Amino acid sequence: MNLEKSTGYKIILDWLKKNERQPFTFQTETWQHILSGQNGLVNAPTGCGKTYSIFLGALIQFINAHPKQFQTKKNNGLQLLWITPLRALAKDIARAMTEVIEELGMQWKIGIRNGDTELNERAKQKRQMPEVLIITPESLHLLLAQKNYPGVFTSLKIIAVDEWHELLGSKRGVQTELAISRIVNVNYRISNAHCLLWGISATIGNLEEAKAVLLSPLKAEGVIVKADLNKKIEIASIFPDEIEKYPWAGHLGIKLVDKVLPIINASRTTLIFINTRGMTEMWYQSLLNAAPELAGAIALHHGSIDQELRFWVEENLHTGKLKAVVCTASLDLGVDFRPVETIIQVGSPKGVARFLQRAGRSGHSPDAVSKIYFLPTHSLELVEAAALKQAVAENFIESKTPQLLCFDVLIQYLCSIAISDGFYPDEIFEEVKNTYCFAAITKEEFQEILLHITAGGIALNQYDEYKKVEILDNGLYKINSRRIAMRHRMHIGTIVSDAMLKVKFLSGGYIGVIEEYFISRLEPGDSFTIAGRNLELVMIKDMTVLVKKSTAKKSIIPSWQGGRMSLSSNMGKKLREALTLSQQKNNVPELTVLKPLFDLQNQLSHVPKENELLIEHIETKDGFHLFVYPFEGRLVHEAMAAILAWRISQITPITFSFAMNDYGFELLSDQPIPLDDGNVYELFTDKNLFADIQRSVNSTEMAKRKFRDIAVIGGLIFQGYPGDYQKPKHLQSSASLLFKVFAEYEPSNILLKQAYREVFEQQMEETRLRDMLQRIQQSKIIITWPQQLTPFCFPLKVDSIRENVSSEKLEDRVKRMQEQLGKDTK
Amino acid sequence: MASFIKHTIHQNDFILNSNRTIFWEQEKILILSDLHLGKTGHFRKAGIGVPATIMKEDMQRFVAAIQFYKPSLVVIVGDLFHSVENKEHELFLKWRNDLQYVPMLLVKGNHDIVPETWYKNAGIETAERLWRRNNFLFVHQAEDVQEEDLQEADYFFSGHIHPAVSVRGLGKQSLRFSCFYFTNNYAVLPAFGKFTGTFLVEPKKNETAFAIVEDSVILYKK
Repeated sequence: MNLEKSTGYKIILDWLKKNERQPFTFQTETWQHILSGQNGLVNAPTGCGKTYSIFLGALIQFINAHPKQFQTKKNNGLQLLWITPLRALAKDIARAMTEVIEELGMQWKIGIRNGDTELNERAKQKRQMPEVLIITPESLHLLLAQKNYPGVFTSLKIIAVDEWHELLGSKRGVQTELAISRIVNVNYRISNAHCLLWGISATIGNLEEAKAVLLSPLKAEGVIVKADLNKKIEIASIFPDEIEKYPWAGHLGIKLVDKVLPIINASRTTLIFINTRGMTEMWYQSLLNAAPELAGAIALHHGSIDQELRFWVEENLHTGKLKAVVCTASLDLGVDFRPVETIIQVGSPKGVARFLQRAGRSGHSPDAVSKIYFLPTHSLELVEAAALKQAVAENFIESKTPQLLCFDVLIQYLCSIAISDGFYPDEIFEEVKNTYCFAAITKEEFQEILLHITAGGIALNQYDEYKKVEILDNGLYKINSRRIAMRHRMHIGTIVSDAMLKVKFLSGGYIGVIEEYFISRLEPGDSFTIAGRNLELVMIKDMTVLVKKSTAKKSIIPSWQGGRMSLSSNMGKKLREALTLSQQKNNVPELTVLKPLFDLQNQLSHVPKENELLIEHIETKDGFHLFVYPFEGRLVHEAMAAILAWRISQITPITFSFAMNDYGFELLSDQPIPLDDGNVYELFTDKNLFADIQRSVNSTEMAKRKFRDIAVIGGLIFQGYPGDYQKPKHLQSSASLLFKVFAEYEPSNILLKQAYREVFEQQMEETRLRDMLQRIQQSKIIITWPQQLTPFCFPLKVDSIRENVSSEKLEDRVKRMQEQLGKDTK
Repeated sequence: MASFIKHTIHQNDFILNSNRTIFWEQEKILILSDLHLGKTGHFRKAGIGVPATIMKEDMQRFVAAIQFYKPSLVVIVGDLFHSVENKEHELFLKWRNDLQYVPMLLVKGNHDIVPETWYKNAGIETAERLWRRNNFLFVHQAEDVQEEDLQEADYFFSGHIHPAVSVRGLGKQSLRFSCFYFTNNYAVLPAFGKFTGTFLVEPKKNETAFAIVEDSVILYKK
């Protein structure tokens, strides 16, 4: 159908004109594709009307189908399913959509369904689905776990996946793929026509692949519609008055609070992005201490804050009542807060894409300039600012690698649809195989998964009472136990967090939630800070932390686990280039200001250029250190450290401890480390890489950590929800215990194997590791022997996470450790 | 092959075995604790597919220990079973039937909640809080022992906490091992069952711990 001649288009165009607007080219392009029955991906930044590109397309489609009654037709059933990764987005989008519907005089209803949706609202939706349902992947799976779910999708015309770049690459993306594979199939069976599938994505390095992943269940080629709107971004660094030559992570940022105040005062609203929740609390306090007059005009926003409070913050961001909000990634995604004029990024954003995403939170109108300040948490981070500027100028944005064969997510999904209407394996196998994630799944693997959910992994014996999915006489796979169904529904999702406890005042009054891990280290009487308040721990009762207001001057800030991002490969490359530039004549302010630090580094050791790898041997009272600086991000360094340790231990029996950050890694031993010009290229070869990874003991430790998430997603650990539910005590176990027993008694378990695979593919990033080693082979390796710690190694020394590897036999090692300790105490 | 260490307390010899048991040589008593039998069954019944073979291996180790030492009595210092009865209890009964000739005594622990008649049918004698042989006491939790209990006893054996030691080296290296833990007046046995967590103990001066490292028992030094 020709768009321009259609009634729907005319009506929409009129409405836009009335509002003194006109459609962008990418919007009309998308509408035309929708009318022609095409699927595809819209590539547009936020704040440019990307929502309209698909939503108005759906309206045009509807008006064209009902040109006479489009204003009167009510209760049309679900027309547009809008999948969005963040709850915070839902309200914003619903608001924009409702506005349009009202102005057009239509009867469509816009519904929201996510973790925050009230029960009676859900029940209402069940009776009569709204025409548009805005939903998170988790809630979508919950919907699939409801009886008669296929009925919901009978009238569905379009599935839209918003912020697809955010979902792609995560297990939530896999969850989305699986849900879509089911929905398009039930929709087709009932309506005999395929609904359309559209994604919306910001620019990423692999847009074509992103489209292929999304459209895989439809086996459709599809189109990419690009919004060629170049947003202007202005990047400025905030410089400390004095550059410390020995930087260490974290402590500098807060000192710069005085330099942040003028920025806040100069713009209408400022968002301050901070990488960890713990630091947001600290920043919030420091801002208030430095400028008490800001009380009431600044707020906190992160994932552990009570949702009421979060809503309040979001509302006040919309209305412009807040001067500044200190936030984490919780405000990363496309929430359109018009009053926001300025962004401050505290610490490394770790990736170009994330930095751009955050910059895009300011200056929302298409022609406005996005203004972002970079505030370093240690002086070396200024190099990252220089690297970011260059990357942004080149539009050098990361790819999102889609996850493959996530059996934990598949197990969860199969159980979900076994709760509602049950499934027939043959039919579901075909569907699952049509997704990008499971395209390579074999019949055997699928059988193994079926065996896992029906028989608990091994053949039944007469004393076994395993019960989960049952196979009915007609071959239907079904969960009949209400208790198992309830427990499963409660843990649908792929975001695994620590066990969370509710925090409440003794006198009543809910404050937020907090990790069990953190609170378990506190004693009653200790003070801590959450949601910007100083609280004193009174007691823990029934999964609730009871507190009262604290008058203590010093309080502990919770350190939330997780959220430790690793530097992206793109950032690493730009960082190495920036270092090269720093050693030449340049006028990059971030690099010139760091000159004293570079001079000291050069004097003690060396500043590596992009075609060099720097290795430092340093001896201290702790032992013999080897510092290596590939600038490839923490994860790759972690793997490389393990492999290097293993390879060195092949030369001589030796035990190491490790530390790593985004710039490099450290091996520490109690004996000299035999690495020199003679063997260094051999130690950094990519030959036998895979075998060496497997041999490095470390993969077990890493797999153990990966297994925690997999075990939770795959239903082996029931976490419970904050305060809502008491864990049955006799079913408590830790992931490390489960890992231990699986490794010992059922090493072929499919989830255990997945943990190892995830370690190789994601944690160690095998491809990236290989690329790095090949790069190093082509580089000049420079080994120095500094007499003292250097500026480059200092943050590593301070910010260390240690793991160990050894080629010695376990028993020998224990004895040796003891000898060592004995020597120390003498 | 398992290894042992002989530990002497008040002129009595106790053999610490890497199979997680203690054998009292003079009295020919095999002591063990915290088997948590049936735990896998409860998990599996709830749809959590932990390996079903754990219990079988625990039982095989139990039987092997009995066949090796030929004890005159087996004393379990609590938590023989993990929770209420399930089918794995039947499996235990089958094993018990084959070992009828060995007297067994259970000092009841906090997890031992099946009805008294069940133990009677299984041929297991029970003791409510503690049991005594010569100048040695046997309890589940060390903290349950009162002053007056100790008046005629020199030492007692307990379980409950599933003790483990952490062996540390340079640069924050650490490994964790189940252990036998001896203080001046009591001992804590490691959990016999393998599907159990551990609790880190830090032996003070005059206290000893023996770590179970794979198939060996090793004296732990701080």
